[in-house]
Formats: sequence, structure tokens, C-alpha cells
Amino acid sequence: MKKANRIITILIFIFLYIPMAVLVVASFNTGKDITQFEGFTLSRYAELFRDAQLLRLLGNSLLISVLASGISTVLGTLSAVGIYRLKPKMRRVVMSLTNIPMTNPDIVTGVSLSLLFVFIGGRLLGQKESLTFWTLLIAHVTFGLPYVILNVMPKLQQMNPALQDAALDLGCTPLQAFFKVTIHEIMPGMIAGAIMAFTMSLDDFVISYFVTGSDFMTLPVEIYSLTKKPIQPKIYAMFTLLFLLIFVLMVTMNVIQVRGEQQKHRRRAISDSKAVRIIKVAAAIAAAVAILVGMAFLILPSLQPKITLNVYNWGQYMARGEDGSTDIIAAFEEKYPHIKVNYTTYDSNEIMYSKLSGGGVAIDVVFPSDYMIARMIQENMLLELNFDNIPNYQYIDESFLDTAYDPENKYSVPYTWGTVGIIYNTKYVDEADVTGWELMWNEKYAGKILMFDNSRDAFGIAQFLLGEDINTTDKAVLDATAAKLKEQKPVLQQYVMDQIYSTMENEEAWIAAYYAGDCMTMMENNEDLAFYLPENQGFNMFIDAACIPTCCKEKEAAELFINFLCEPEISAANMDWVCYSTPISAAKEYLDEETVNDPVAYPSEEILKNGVSFAYLPEEISRYTESLFMQVRNS
Amino acid sequence: MKKNKSVLLTTPYILWMVVFTLIPLGVVAYYAFTDSPTTGNFTFANLQELGNYLPVLWQSIWYSIVSAVICLLIGYPVAYYIAHRPPMVQKILYMLVMLPMCMSFLLRTLAWVGLLQDTGIINTRLGKLGIGPLPLIRNSGAVILGMVYNYLPYMILPLYAIIVKIDHRLIEAAEDLGCTPLQVFTKVILPFSVPGILSGITMVFVPAVSTFYISQKLGGTDTVLIGDVIERQFKQGNNPNLGAALSLVLMLLVFVCTGIMNRFGSDEEGGVVV
Repeated sequence: MKKANRIITILIFIFLYIPMAVLVVASFNTGKDITQFEGFTLSRYAELFRDAQLLRLLGNSLLISVLASGISTVLGTLSAVGIYRLKPKMRRVVMSLTNIPMTNPDIVTGVSLSLLFVFIGGRLLGQKESLTFWTLLIAHVTFGLPYVILNVMPKLQQMNPALQDAALDLGCTPLQAFFKVTIHEIMPGMIAGAIMAFTMSLDDFVISYFVTGSDFMTLPVEIYSLTKKPIQPKIYAMFTLLFLLIFVLMVTMNVIQVRGEQQKHRRRAISDSKAVRIIKVAAAIAAAVAILVGMAFLILPSLQPKITLNVYNWGQYMARGEDGSTDIIAAFEEKYPHIKVNYTTYDSNEIMYSKLSGGGVAIDVVFPSDYMIARMIQENMLLELNFDNIPNYQYIDESFLDTAYDPENKYSVPYTWGTVGIIYNTKYVDEADVTGWELMWNEKYAGKILMFDNSRDAFGIAQFLLGEDINTTDKAVLDATAAKLKEQKPVLQQYVMDQIYSTMENEEAWIAAYYAGDCMTMMENNEDLAFYLPENQGFNMFIDAACIPTCCKEKEAAELFINFLCEPEISAANMDWVCYSTPISAAKEYLDEETVNDPVAYPSEEILKNGVSFAYLPEEISRYTESLFMQVRNS
Repeated sequence: MKKNKSVLLTTPYILWMVVFTLIPLGVVAYYAFTDSPTTGNFTFANLQELGNYLPVLWQSIWYSIVSAVICLLIGYPVAYYIAHRPPMVQKILYMLVMLPMCMSFLLRTLAWVGLLQDTGIINTRLGKLGIGPLPLIRNSGAVILGMVYNYLPYMILPLYAIIVKIDHRLIEAAEDLGCTPLQVFTKVILPFSVPGILSGITMVFVPAVSTFYISQKLGGTDTVLIGDVIERQFKQGNNPNLGAALSLVLMLLVFVCTGIMNRFGSDEEGGVVV
């Protein structure tokens, strides 16, 4: 029996620690792939410390957790003292209130708080940006408070009430009695509560994910969006360092606790020993410093006359200095030192649209596709651009102007264009099967096929296969398309967006439909991948353009940014990494010939004739398509 | 005088909790019964649509119950073992159980993807031995594994806290009175651990039933959970009203479950709340 328990315990510890060991090992790997250890390196750590963005987010997370746990501890302790003195009936009511956030699933807490903030800030107060640092802090205090109360209450109950009475009898005011007597008795509960609130806040993802706006983000939320893309190994390095830090913290805490207990046994003295007192003073100073640093973090940026520009773009859609590319944002910030760019990414038009229409955020530049631009214009979600601030607009090829989605060229500046085709792995896929979109339904490759995780692209593919118009407003056709997609579900490995890169490159999946530019990036990283455009059945041709949404706060800076992107040299440097096609012919001079002549990036006029663009669909039809797709996904 | 002050002390807290927990739930209910955030007309349409999501809801409940039971079965021996070590060893083991809870669960789940996928660490090693890639990922088993892995510490810690408090003299007494080790376990230790078991099950069940990340990463196209659906309504589907209705259902479900647990537990030990 005992032996069995020991074996189980050992196995469970192995089970708990293996995934973490995998991550730690990956942080020393020269290769990018977590599954293959290619050689030892420390360069991931160097990369981590050069990444100002990640370090800033780590700082944000620490700031929020220090402030939130500090506020929860003070407020929670005071309330616990108050609750302790309430009549039992009232106490039960208050304690059941305390239990609500404890028992409520995180996702419900997150959803409810985000709806509350948007409702009050957006609807009642008319603020553009109602999800800010402060609302995030409120959310973290809200879920931290119960931990403090539930830890302090038992200590109050254990305390001998005579102690406090004695203090009062000896002439203490109630306040003095609290600080001289009570607080010492409940200190362990306060510390335990504070630590729990701190760690919960530091590692919270679900609640923050719903409550985060555009200007202030925490590390876990960013990690979530990073895990959707091909993951950068420096994340593993950060995990390893955090692991070490928390390990050391926990060991120190334990040592302090054990020492404290030993001392208590030895002396049973009321006054603190010297060591404990030093530790307490040190802890107080550390907390004070942390709070001051936190405040400085908060106040300093607002003192600088810098403008923050919130750019919200597709993932992997702008060169950020990876693989030796030009960092477009850094180049922009260098040219315009008074502007600081806050760059975040989305996976699909629908995610971007949901975020903007959900409200509560301030975004200055977005890059929607054609049909989405039309929809946003229709719903008054875009601002007219002031082209005096965008002189480089002259470089845009005429063939990209006067489009169906923006007939008067008032709202958008083309950023890239491209086609949607099939990427497949020649090692596993028989060329004879590569005949058209039906490859995406081929049972022979069941479990190895990836499909778009957004309604418009997914419906488009099924409609090409069915020979239907991709811009149909006929509900019967849409129902038939949804049925076709349901039919496809059993052969699919997953519905994906940005995760496609790693899955295709490491050959976990063999067939996928995706945007040509991204397919070229994947083909660069895995030579067995090939691209196929189903010319005869038709394919989607898209334009993504830079737009300024109505929730914009810095319109002029946003126009400067869009103008910068249109500089031929910058566009070329950007497209060189992004691999999409540029709508600026002048930029082609700066691109190498191989790219310009690549039929995947720049297909011939003849092929392009078969391309179809998505057009605007009425609001009702968009919603209907969306709900059909949700049903396909969730069935 | 004293009473006034204590009410004064609790007022900010009560206000805070009402404004930031009760009212938000009211806002969720408001969204659940209206048609769109801009118009705000009263409707039952969202509730009618819930029927479509019943299978997803059952699937979530089923996965979480299975995970909670597995956590209990493997967590109990671990908690029992830790509780019977010398105090110093107990502290170290306790810390080692707690440590994973403090690390990013997103990255730890991602590590499982690296381990389990067809081209992952386990399958490539097996491939070298000539064993074809096993279907380790994108099925219900992988999702349950992810849940067990992430929430096992939430089971072990409350179990340990209860088991360590069981008076050793009771066990000795039972032994003296002729109980076999099995009888000691079923008649003494197990009844005393009931509060820990109940709070452990709740602490595993609640996050498991509402998760979306684990099923997104480790699940396939048919392991959709209620958390996924809610997340997608808000973040992609742009249908916060349906999302709110689903959240309301999830919340009621959890409150009913924990309520039953508490009722169940109160016969024995006066009720345990998480």
C-alpha cells in the first residue's frame, strides 16, 4: 500500500514536471522546433533581453499584480475585521457574496466585467476607450479580494478576543489596538492572502483576456496571442527564468516560515526576534519600492509628450526585424520620435471586427480586407482619410483604386493584395489528387487537412467548389454551403488561422487553404511545400488596405503611419519579409527579381482574370453566415 | 458604537462586491435577453438558440466530471503519501505541487502539444522504434489529459490539507479494535477526507467545465466545449448577446453543482466552500 502510494506519487511528479522540462530544454535549443533538440545555445536569452516589448509586458504584469494584491490586502483585511464583528446572519450574507467570484467560472467573471465596463463607459458615459489600465486593475482586485478575506477570517476567529479588550482597557484607541495587537495576530493570514492574490493576478489569463483593451496589456494575454503564431523560442527562455524566480521565491518563503516557527518554539516571545523584524522591515521596504516603481511606470509615460499610436494588424503581416528583416515600426519611430507605436495583432477580419464593434478600445490603424472595409463603411465604423497627410498615396497603382468596396477612394489605402489557394506537402500528397478545391474534402488525407477559421474564407472555398457565387445573398445557397462545410468537418485536422505556419512547416498537416503570401513564407521554410491555385473553379482575390476606425484617437499620427507604409522603399522592405504582393509598382524596383517574377506572388493577368473579390454583404446576411459558421464549428 | 463602526468597515467592500460582481451579472442577464448591443430590444431568441448548444454543454460536463474523477483517483494517493512524510519533506513536496500552478498554464499546455502531436516528441521517438504515429492529440482523451494535468494540484492541495489533520490516535484506535488496513481506510480515513474530496472536485470541475484554451490546443474539430463557444461569440462571432446567454447558463450550472456539493457535504462536516 505504502509502496504503491510512493510509486504513484513519483509518477505524478514526473507527469507534472515533464511539460515544464520540455519548455526549459527548448529554451537552450538552437533549432526553433520544440520536438527536435539540435544543439545548445544561450542566444534565446539574449534575444529575450533585447525584446523591449516583452519586457514591458512583463513589467505591466508585475505592476498590475503588485497594485492589485496590495489594494486587495488592505481592503480585504479591513473588511474581514468588519465582517468578523457583524451579526452571524449578516456575516453569512456577506460571505456568500465573497463566494461568488470564487465559484463563478473565470470566463463568466471576465465576460461580465467586460460587458459592465463597456456598458457603463461606452453606453452611459460615451467614452471611446472604456477598457483601460484602471478597469483591468479593478478586475484583478475583484478576484483577489476573496482570497485575502478567506485567509484573514480564520486568523481572526483563532485570535483571543481578550487580547484586544486588554489593549482597549489599557487605554489604546480602537485604531491603536488594531495596529498594536490585532494586526500581529492576523499577519500570517494577510501575507498568505496577499501572496495568493499576487500569484493569481500574475498568472491570470482568462479574466484579463476579456477585460484587456488596446493600450494596456499583460504578459499572459500576449502569450496567448503568441501561441497562436509560430512561437518564438525566447518565450521558452522567459518561462525558464520565471520558473527559477518563482522557485527561489517559494524556497525563501518556506525557509522564513520554518525559521519563524522554530523561533516561536524556542522563545514563545511576544516581541519579534531581530531576524524576523529585519525581514519584516525589508518586506515593507520592498513592497513600498515596488509600488513606487509601479507608480513611476504609470506616471512617467504620461509626462513624456509622446503620442501612442495603436496599430492593429493581422499576425505575421508586418516586418518586425525577424530573420534579418527591416523593423518597419522601429524605422517609423526613428523617423517620428514623438510617436510610439503600440502594435497588436489579430487572426481574421472577423476577430478585428468583433473587437472594434464590441467597443471599449481605442485603435488608430487597422488593415481590413475588401469586403470588411465595405461592411465597416456601411456601418459607419471608418473615418474619411485626409489625403493631404498621405502624399505617398500617389504611388498606389491605378488598378487598385476605384474599387467596389471603396468606390470614392475615401476610406482606405491599399496595403497588400493576393490570392487564396491551396498549400500542400508534395512528400505526402499525390499530385494526381491536386485537381481543385475538392482536395480539401479528400478522405484519403483525413486528419491532415486544415481549414480557414473564419466564415467568409471558409464559405468562399465551399462556394467555389459548389460553383456558386461567393457573394450570394440567397439564404438557401448559404445553407447548402454550410452543409458542404459540415461534410468536410470529419476529414479536417483543425480550423486554423495563424497556427497554420508551424503545423504545415513541421508536417503535422499536409493540406491547407491559405493566403498566397503566407504560403510563400511557409514554402521558404519547408521545401516540400507547394502552392496550387484552382484556376478553373475560381479563387478569391483580395486587397487588404489600411483604414482608420472611428474609435481612433490620433488621426494625424495614423495618417503619417499609413503614408510611411506607402513609401516605395519601405513597402518593398516590408513585402520582402511578409511575402505578400505590393500594390505599389515603384516598390518592385527595390524587390529582388526572383520575387517579382514569382507566379505565386504576382500571377499573370490571364490567371488573375479568374479571381473573384469578396463584395459587401448586407448586415443581415453577414450575421446569418456568421451564425451558420458557428454552427458548423460547434456542431 | 462598535456595531456602527464594523458596518462602516465593511461598507466599501460590500459596495465593491455589489458593483463589480452582482451588477455585472445583471448586465450579462440584460445582454442575454436583448437582441443586439446597439438596439437593446427585449427578446427570447438567444435562449431559444441555446438548444443548439446542449450537446456541447453535455460534452463539457462529461469531460469535466471524468477529469475530476481521474484527479481524485490519482490525487488521493499522492495527498495521502505527502501527508505521511516528516514535516520538512511535507513542506518540500507541498511546494512542488504548488509550483506548477504559478507557471503560465498556456505555455505548459503548449508543451503538451509538442509532446503529443503526430510529429511530436513522443511519436517521433516511437517512430524510430517502428511504431506508427499514435493518435495522441486532437481527441477527447487529449483534452481530458490536459484538464487533469492543469487542475490536478487543485485536487491534491485540499485533500492534503484535510488528510494531514486527521488525528493519528483515531487510526491507532481503529487498529487496536481489530480493523484491517482496508477497514481503517474505509471507516476512518475516507469519511474524514470527505470535505477535502468535495472541495477538490469543485476546484477541478469549475475551471475544467469552462476552459477554452485546453480544448483549442489539444482538442480536434469535434471536442468543442462550452467555453470555446462563449469565447468565439465574443471574440469572433460578434454575438455578445448569445455569448451572454451561454455564460448565464454556464454560471447557473456551476452554482447548482457547487450547491449540491455543499448540501452533500454539510451532512458530514458542516459544508465546505472552495
